[in-house]
Amino acid sequence: MPVKLILRNKEYEVKAGMALLDALKKCDIIPESVIATREGELITEDEILKDGEVIKLVAVISGG
Amino acid sequence: MKCKKCGEKASVNMRQHRMALCLDHFIEWIPEQTERFIKKYNMFTREEKILVAVSGGKDSLSLWDILIRLGYKADGLYLGLGINEGIGYSEESHRLTDEFARKNNLRLHVVDIEKEYGHSIPILSQISHRGYGKPCSVCGLSKRHEMNRIARDLGYDVLATGHNLDDEAAVLFGNTLQWEADYLLRQGPVLPGMDGLARKVKPLCRFYEREMTAYAIARRIEYIYEECPFAEGSTQIFYKEALNQLENSRPGVKLTFYLRFLEARRSGDLFVQKEAAQAHLHPCEKCGQPTSAPDLCSFCRMLEKADTTGSS
Repeated sequence: MPVKLILRNKEYEVKAGMALLDALKKCDIIPESVIATREGELITEDEILKDGEVIKLVAVISGG
Repeated sequence: MKCKKCGEKASVNMRQHRMALCLDHFIEWIPEQTERFIKKYNMFTREEKILVAVSGGKDSLSLWDILIRLGYKADGLYLGLGINEGIGYSEESHRLTDEFARKNNLRLHVVDIEKEYGHSIPILSQISHRGYGKPCSVCGLSKRHEMNRIARDLGYDVLATGHNLDDEAAVLFGNTLQWEADYLLRQGPVLPGMDGLARKVKPLCRFYEREMTAYAIARRIEYIYEECPFAEGSTQIFYKEALNQLENSRPGVKLTFYLRFLEARRSGDLFVQKEAAQAHLHPCEKCGQPTSAPDLCSFCRMLEKADTTGSS
């Protein structure tokens, strides 16, 4: 089963078994611009993504 | 990835410091570093009364959280801007700020711009014709004016804002692109107080926006995640994204950009300091705050125009 990455209202799908950093690159997401969480816990970009899981990406940039 | 301090599994990686930390050590590291910056830049002491400008966003609520954890006397100020745009933006940010204050038993001052001056920020922007159709310029001007007024009226020693390094680097980037020498000379972690102007400090100015997001999540601080509806497509966001592209290829480039600027400014190597840049300031005829304009300050001029236009 693919891994789902969710950023705001966008969803991306990547293969399980890849590192988060590679998944972000594959989805054209700048790693500096997000923080990743798995079930509400912060994870680092070397984390290997597991079958069928959902990774929530929190956008870090705010303006104004 | 392992925590640099304890060797346990890391939760946050900070490539610019070549350091990863576990959740517990990250939550400790942020206030320790904040304390270091407060002292390094002589921001304030534990005896002074601090007013924290809180918007309901991750940075300002985290700043308040950190200052309280460090044992400072810090109250909050929330400015109601009247931004709705179909998503109740101001209402929600007020609710979250209020909830944070209540949960932590903190004192929060609330000032509503519309109640105070008769118009919300978007309406003020429309009728004063400032800002090329976007309310951001009116919003910034009003916030600066009101934060200063309230800090002084309520007798606070210092006004603290949640500006992080990405905010500062984006401003620096914009001002450098246009060689705005006057603005560059004024940018820094501390804007000293003077007659009519409260001292302003930015204790988070050396943390990346990414770290502040991680801190808010780690501390389970509920903040407004939605972007201000008027911020979409803003120049500041564009600069932040551009700087993040650079940071991605060259970790630490944002930090170096800002710190080298501060150092160059401090040493006087970069610019020839003009003599007493604020020497020509005098009190506004209406509100009394310092201004370089001949009679009324920009804020009072805007209100006057809004009142004339609004009532006609």
